[in-house]
Amino acid sequence: MPAPPPRFHFLRRADVLAGLLFIAVAVIGLWASRHYPIGTTTRMGTGYVPRLLCWILLALGALIVVQGLRAGGFIELGRPIWRAMVFVPLSLLVFAFLIGPFGVVAATVALVLVGALAGRESRPLEVVAVAVLLVVLTLTIFVWGVGLPIPVWPEW
Amino acid sequence: MDFLANLALGFGVALTPANLGFALVGCLVGTLVGVLPGIGPVATVAMLLPLTFHLEPVSGLIMLAGIFYGAQYGGSTTAILVNMPGETSSVVTCIDGHQMARNGRAGAALTVAALGSFFAGTVATFMIALFSPPLAKVGQSFGAPEYFSLMVVGLIAAVVLAHGSIIKAVAMVLLGLLLGLVGTDGQTGGQRFTFGITILSDGIGFVPLAIGVFGLGEVIANLVHPQQRRDLVSSKISNLWLTKEEFKQAWPASVRGTLVGSILGVLPGGGATLSAFAGYVVEKKLARDPSRFGKGAIEGVAGPESANNAGAQASFIPMLTLGIPGNAVMALMIGALTIHGIQPGPQVMTERPALFWGMVASMWIGNLMLVIINLPMIGLWVQLLKVPYRQLYLAILLFSAIGVYTVNNNSFEVILTALFGVLGYVFIRLECEPAPLLLGFILGPLMEENLRRAMRISGGDPMIFLNRPISLGLLIAAALLLLVVALPFIRGKRDEVFQG
Repeated sequence: MPAPPPRFHFLRRADVLAGLLFIAVAVIGLWASRHYPIGTTTRMGTGYVPRLLCWILLALGALIVVQGLRAGGFIELGRPIWRAMVFVPLSLLVFAFLIGPFGVVAATVALVLVGALAGRESRPLEVVAVAVLLVVLTLTIFVWGVGLPIPVWPEW
Repeated sequence: MDFLANLALGFGVALTPANLGFALVGCLVGTLVGVLPGIGPVATVAMLLPLTFHLEPVSGLIMLAGIFYGAQYGGSTTAILVNMPGETSSVVTCIDGHQMARNGRAGAALTVAALGSFFAGTVATFMIALFSPPLAKVGQSFGAPEYFSLMVVGLIAAVVLAHGSIIKAVAMVLLGLLLGLVGTDGQTGGQRFTFGITILSDGIGFVPLAIGVFGLGEVIANLVHPQQRRDLVSSKISNLWLTKEEFKQAWPASVRGTLVGSILGVLPGGGATLSAFAGYVVEKKLARDPSRFGKGAIEGVAGPESANNAGAQASFIPMLTLGIPGNAVMALMIGALTIHGIQPGPQVMTERPALFWGMVASMWIGNLMLVIINLPMIGLWVQLLKVPYRQLYLAILLFSAIGVYTVNNNSFEVILTALFGVLGYVFIRLECEPAPLLLGFILGPLMEENLRRAMRISGGDPMIFLNRPISLGLLIAAALLLLVVALPFIRGKRDEVFQG
């Protein structure tokens, strides 16, 4: 016997969610551009094209939702999704905040340590080895090789 | 002859020791990253783009072209040895290439892929040299309405050739257009969708967008759905030579593939992937014994590999001459040109002939280098393939972060990349193809500008797009494209082709 569909399963369809995403973007766009001058067709203002695009996107989004509701199936969500979806972007954020004040070496190590949490099969010793290797590579390729003007060490 | 004089000028530029060096580095780095599974050519080029920013425009572009070809070659190597396409255009190479490898003919498969690609690259280079000047001349006669219609064709073609639902692909184009409009309106100076963030008034960078959506999105997807064990053919690749029999089967396939790729590559929306699929279908249809396909038929490697390289290279033609990207990689190239201070379009060839022809010549040189460096270095690439993904993705994350950061030495763009990465994964899960988004993003500001100009010429009358013959012709082509795909028969075929 197949497992019963999850609650709100009609919301868990790829097309429904995609349509809702497009609608959301369109609505935010329309809201954000509510004060933009539209101008006339001959002399288009700042808001003319963006608002036009948002309205079309809104219509398409609605169409996609309707299509999705008629189709079957739903997408699985599970623990590993959140792991990767949280720690992958987080590792970049950490890098972004550290590189200015602390330099690329510290930022690299932090990125690797945080990024390692995104995978399910990371091994602590290996992660440390990868971090060391990547620091060496970064320094040889980007700093000394290409000569990118990036801060290397903490500034104090 | 103009043609020869142009090529001579180009080789003069491309053959300077410095530029040869940059081409070599580009090819090597491109192959290195292209071999790594899970990073497609778009992400590869985007990630390595910053390496070229500090160079002269010519050298930067030469290196970039090298990176692009390297990524292509690297992709076929993984396809053959590990049965994992490094990129979508090598998907078909997996089918017979990997079977050949399992039959102990890995060396032959790699050689045929390399030589086939080189042959295709040579032909395509000549095609670029031959067809670019007349096309650029056509482009120069274009006014705003024609340009607008041309971009419509390009976007429609991208939609038609995207996987899955067409409406979703159109919505992705619109989303891309909107993202492209973020920032200061070039005409009125008004701020759009900046939400009070000062840095956004310069617009969203295309490097964060491309790396986030194409690179990080894939990384997240690979972590969530780990690939099945890689099926690495690790037996020593001893014999790189083809047997006489194999050579006889392979060369006609290579020629046919080149032809297919050269034609499909020029079309908007075309490029490497479509060409490779078409090349495979052609070979299977023409074969005397189609049942050999899927079991290691050498034509199944030679045809698509030649086709994808010819297609990849031919897609430079509309990009270089008209400034219209046919696919996502070309959209990146346009972004790269802009960063180097060059506005792509028909004027590039006349105003910067050394740059234009130097790049064309370096394409051929890059292809040659890849044959020379790739075959002997196969062993090294195989070693790379043994690196487990749990280590590899950390390097991808780091190089993405550094790549984005160094564009403007700006942390904000790294943060933006992280957000786009999440969005990229959401797109994958919701089955929204990201390539149309990138095209829309690059074309957004250009389209708006030309639309505004056209409307000013016509006094707000949209009929201007139908009154001018070239513009009308382009729009009819776009409408036909949409119509054709809507037909049930073609729809079925389209789905079949994408299923590979």
